[in-house]
Amino acid sequence: MDFEASQPIVKSEFIAVVLAGFGRELQPLTSNHGDEPCPKALLPIGNKPMIDHVLAWLEPSGITDVLLVCPTPHRRSIADHVGSDASASFPSLRIDLQTYGDPQDSSFGTGSILRTFAHRIDRDFVVLPCDFIPPPSLQLTTVLNKFRMESASDGSILTSTWYEAPPQADKPSGDEWGPHASPTSIVWDERSESLLQIEVPDSIARKTDDIEIEMSLLSMYPRLKLTNKLQDSNVFVCHRSVLELLRKKRRLESLGKGFLPWLCKINHRRSKKQAYKTLLQPYRKMPTLANALKNSTLNEPGTVTYKEEDDGRITTNHGPSTRVGLIVHKAGDGIAARASNLYNYLDINRRFLEQASQNQTGPPAKVPLVDAKAQISVDSSIGQSTRVEERAVIKKSVVGRHCVIGKMAKIVGCVILDHCVVEDGAKLEGCILGGSTKVGAKAELLKCVTQAGFEVDAGGHYRNAKLEISDWTTAGAYDDEESDEDEESGEESDDV
Amino acid sequence: MPPKGPAAKNKDIAPVEEDVIQAVILAESFNKRFKPLTIDRPRCLLPICNAPLLDWTLESLALAGVQEIFVVCRSHPELVKAAIKESKWSKPGSGLKIVPIVTAKQTFTPGDALRDIYTHGIITNDFVLVTGDLVSNIRIDEVVRVHKERRKVDRDAIMTMVVKESGVVHRTRSKGESAVFVVDPETDRLLHYESVTGYPKTKIARIPREVLNEHPECEIRYDLIDCSIDICSVEVPSLFQDNFDYGHIRRDFVHGVLTSDLLMKNIYTYVAKDGYAARVQDTKSYDAVSKDILSRWTFPLVPDNNHPSSHAYEHRRGNKYFPRDNTVILSRTCTVGTNTLIGSHSQIFDNAVITSSVIGRRCKILPRAKITNSYIFDDTTIEADCVITSSIIGTMVNVKEGTVVEKGCLIADEVTVGPKGLVKEFERVSKKTKTLGAASSTDDEDEDSELEDIGEEQLEKLRADLGTGSNAFVWPPRTLILEDEETDEIENVNNLRLMRLGDNATDSPVSEAESVSTDDASSPSESDVEDNLDESHSSASSNASTSTPATSSKGVSKEEVEFKLEVTQSLERAFEEGHSVDNASVELKTLRMASNVPLSRVREAVIAALVDRISVVSPEDGAAKQKVEVEKVVERWGELINKIGGIDGVETISILQNHCATTNTQLFGQILVSFYQNDVIDEDDLKNWQRLPASRTGQVDSAENHKKFWVIGSRILQQLLEQDSEDESDEDGDEDDE
Repeated sequence: MDFEASQPIVKSEFIAVVLAGFGRELQPLTSNHGDEPCPKALLPIGNKPMIDHVLAWLEPSGITDVLLVCPTPHRRSIADHVGSDASASFPSLRIDLQTYGDPQDSSFGTGSILRTFAHRIDRDFVVLPCDFIPPPSLQLTTVLNKFRMESASDGSILTSTWYEAPPQADKPSGDEWGPHASPTSIVWDERSESLLQIEVPDSIARKTDDIEIEMSLLSMYPRLKLTNKLQDSNVFVCHRSVLELLRKKRRLESLGKGFLPWLCKINHRRSKKQAYKTLLQPYRKMPTLANALKNSTLNEPGTVTYKEEDDGRITTNHGPSTRVGLIVHKAGDGIAARASNLYNYLDINRRFLEQASQNQTGPPAKVPLVDAKAQISVDSSIGQSTRVEERAVIKKSVVGRHCVIGKMAKIVGCVILDHCVVEDGAKLEGCILGGSTKVGAKAELLKCVTQAGFEVDAGGHYRNAKLEISDWTTAGAYDDEESDEDEESGEESDDV
Repeated sequence: MPPKGPAAKNKDIAPVEEDVIQAVILAESFNKRFKPLTIDRPRCLLPICNAPLLDWTLESLALAGVQEIFVVCRSHPELVKAAIKESKWSKPGSGLKIVPIVTAKQTFTPGDALRDIYTHGIITNDFVLVTGDLVSNIRIDEVVRVHKERRKVDRDAIMTMVVKESGVVHRTRSKGESAVFVVDPETDRLLHYESVTGYPKTKIARIPREVLNEHPECEIRYDLIDCSIDICSVEVPSLFQDNFDYGHIRRDFVHGVLTSDLLMKNIYTYVAKDGYAARVQDTKSYDAVSKDILSRWTFPLVPDNNHPSSHAYEHRRGNKYFPRDNTVILSRTCTVGTNTLIGSHSQIFDNAVITSSVIGRRCKILPRAKITNSYIFDDTTIEADCVITSSIIGTMVNVKEGTVVEKGCLIADEVTVGPKGLVKEFERVSKKTKTLGAASSTDDEDEDSELEDIGEEQLEKLRADLGTGSNAFVWPPRTLILEDEETDEIENVNNLRLMRLGDNATDSPVSEAESVSTDDASSPSESDVEDNLDESHSSASSNASTSTPATSSKGVSKEEVEFKLEVTQSLERAFEEGHSVDNASVELKTLRMASNVPLSRVREAVIAALVDRISVVSPEDGAAKQKVEVEKVVERWGELINKIGGIDGVETISILQNHCATTNTQLFGQILVSFYQNDVIDEDDLKNWQRLPASRTGQVDSAENHKKFWVIGSRILQQLLEQDSEDESDEDGDEDDE
């Protein structure tokens, strides 16, 4: 797709870089369905592919150029999606689809991707993950404005966005789908809204039970907040020079976990900053009072390196800052989340349902294929062309398009992707079914995740399991093979 | 008891016997920072703005509504007792009950003192624990109330520390001894306490990770001044009793309680938003607190109002204070600058200049003396033409005429210096006593230990400048004194420098500028290694002391050197082990990618390696043999030159020329021919090369060789053009002769 010709003469201020990953944490949902990939970006949240949420967030901010980067095997399906309805629903966005990496290479971090596509990014840019679901109260414009202000006032080159994790009320208590992500602890300054230190996972492993904070940092920001309540949205607004730094620091694979901590670190080290000074020249000098004071005759040259402000804070005037700005989104102002793992994915879907049910009044519009005797609660959503047969019960669930829900089936708190078949009398609770999953009659699944195309045999009982198809060649005759696939399955009573 | 709220409050206000607020003053400093001023009196009786420190502390406590005070004293207890007896607070009707408690000489730490308090069994209620050097106007009763409220909710709250918000740099905040507080912003509960020393400089504050488990959000604060006003519960002394190793209240007790898994006690902070509180912990804070009193930060505790010794002063413009009783005799020509206090019955003569200083009672400042930023106690005479800067001078001192006292000096009581003496900066001077050298008197044995190691003649040398009429000797600088068993990190010599009056520590090992730069050197472990890795993809070979990439140009050259080395090694391996040309070229390509160097560098390196590989045959053996050698190498490896990622024959020739010219190899012609025969270069390359102006001239230092080789090259070209390839050997021979 070549949009070069249609580009206006005046370049817009930002380019958005949307990164769609393999979605390893969402396996088996993102495992291949036969030869067809199931890209993470297209997993639905509230019956809408998650990438659409991101694009919808982007659009009102006035950014028009989008560089969408996805893994090579996903190219076709994403291109199809973006080419078809997305461009229709987001007419102002010019989407440039690029691919990277091969599925075996898992070490391809965000930093490396940016390095690879640096030549396509010719101005300040916004990095967005495909799985961040922003709340309505947080506008991208807010983040952009903060960056604009800070880069103008003290040369900050990066603004990050953090959100308070939602209260963990109804989180599944066990770790049936793998461990919960351990929280990162960060150190930030509330007054200047800067991010100062991030505990990187390897430092947690390396160091003992202490969080180490350098005194030079404390001297600059004597009143700090230390917290592990905040989570990184992986939304970054970056100055162009970030690419230069990334090019220089090749070792830093990931933007959020590698580059950001490094950038925070050099901020309070004067000599380090000196070393990277040449790269940090985005400092558009603004006629501030501090500059006026510096140039005044009252100021003896060289004597004032520290000046004590009236509120007692010490500001240091040496060159551009590498301060990392941050925006904190409180949980009280609407829930932000990232569908970065299975728990969050399920959680977000439920939240969408709750919101939807609050917004709409009265029973959902009757879908012609739903049997009159089926019970569908208000807080559920049923996709188009889905047939629900008589006396099926659906509560707090999202059912995708073109599904078939059999008689007497009971579905509670589930997310069911498109083209699934749930046969008569099956019971599903807290499950996520990948596309085209087939659940046999009277099967019972509790807190299970299935790979796309998986077939649960009739009457099968599974609990807390990830149901994956181990070998596609024997897909036809796998009958009792699943029993060793669900490693953690507590009790499986096969009755083949 | 929520329903009884108002009733309970009324009960609080009613004067019930059990609600007496008790206070414990630790009137002992347990350190020697004011030596030798404290030889003849305890530190708590040093005058500050002409009133003993203890009186200021009592005043502060009285202001806060404390009714019963225990004064713990160790050194010179009789003086403290007498002072308390004389104090206005001991008079009937003052509303204060002051009880001196004399602890044993073996009390070496505040912890010992508290254990002593415990054995006395005098504490019946929550009490206020302060040090005897406090000047404050904070409403401590408010803090006590908060503490008691909290106790109702949390029985484990055993202590509330009063801290004040300030910046990182504050005049009353000691650089040598401060702390990082980790506080829960919701409840003000102290979660972790980390003490910070100025020297050796604390570089990293360590906060236990488990703090976050219970408190997902906490504040790390380095902007708090510890006022050392603690509201303690009754069990605090018993905790000291149980944990006999608790010495220091902060570093041991607070830290211990917070980190202990067994005690399960909580400590809270109270951030005083307004009010003043500061400790006179060292000479530097003595200066700061004096100035604060003079500039009325401590209001209502100011010299003209509530003066603890009941002197009456008059406040004049520019924060000058003169006694109200008009007993001061000021010469018409003397100058009294701002921030100055002059005690009663003092006389200041013609042309004397006094600025930012405190002069005691009955002092005489003779003509033309100049006193700046200094503190002069009672009954002292400063004779004509003396200059005194940033020093503290005791009582009954006689500074004889023409003497210069440089900054930071401490001159003890009854000393005479001069005439025309010089007290060098930071010197400590005291009267020669008979105790020196001989066995010291019973009381002060530990106090004079500092002097025992110093020889008599050394002392003589030190006092040489003091002047002929002096009765004093100079204390040797602390650095000369062998560190005795007491090597407390806070009392470290260099750390103490940060606490000295007049010492801005610019020359000390922890000067500000340096401390910033050492921040980086301080953590070579991760940051620098990281950088080195980035700059040059070599491993640990680079010097660790080059903490930061010094300059980019240097970095590049280093990188290239590294690269060259790598290439040579790789080629050597290939030569030795007989790799295939393809393999070798792959290896080179990888190297090039890794080091990010231009292709020409690789070419240079390869050609250089090839040329070096050709063994030079001595001229006697003849050109033919040499030719065989050349052929051997080029035939096997020449291909490599064009397999490293690009073909550029002209450059190949230029590089070969360059290399041969600089290393003075005479094989240029032969190699060139050999290259041609092995299809490394072709005729066009030669032609183009010949046309290049650079080929003819070359570099300055090897221009001659360049020229020569150019001629050779041209000749070869000519021959080739003539398709005359038979008598190359002759040609070669000729060339070699040239």
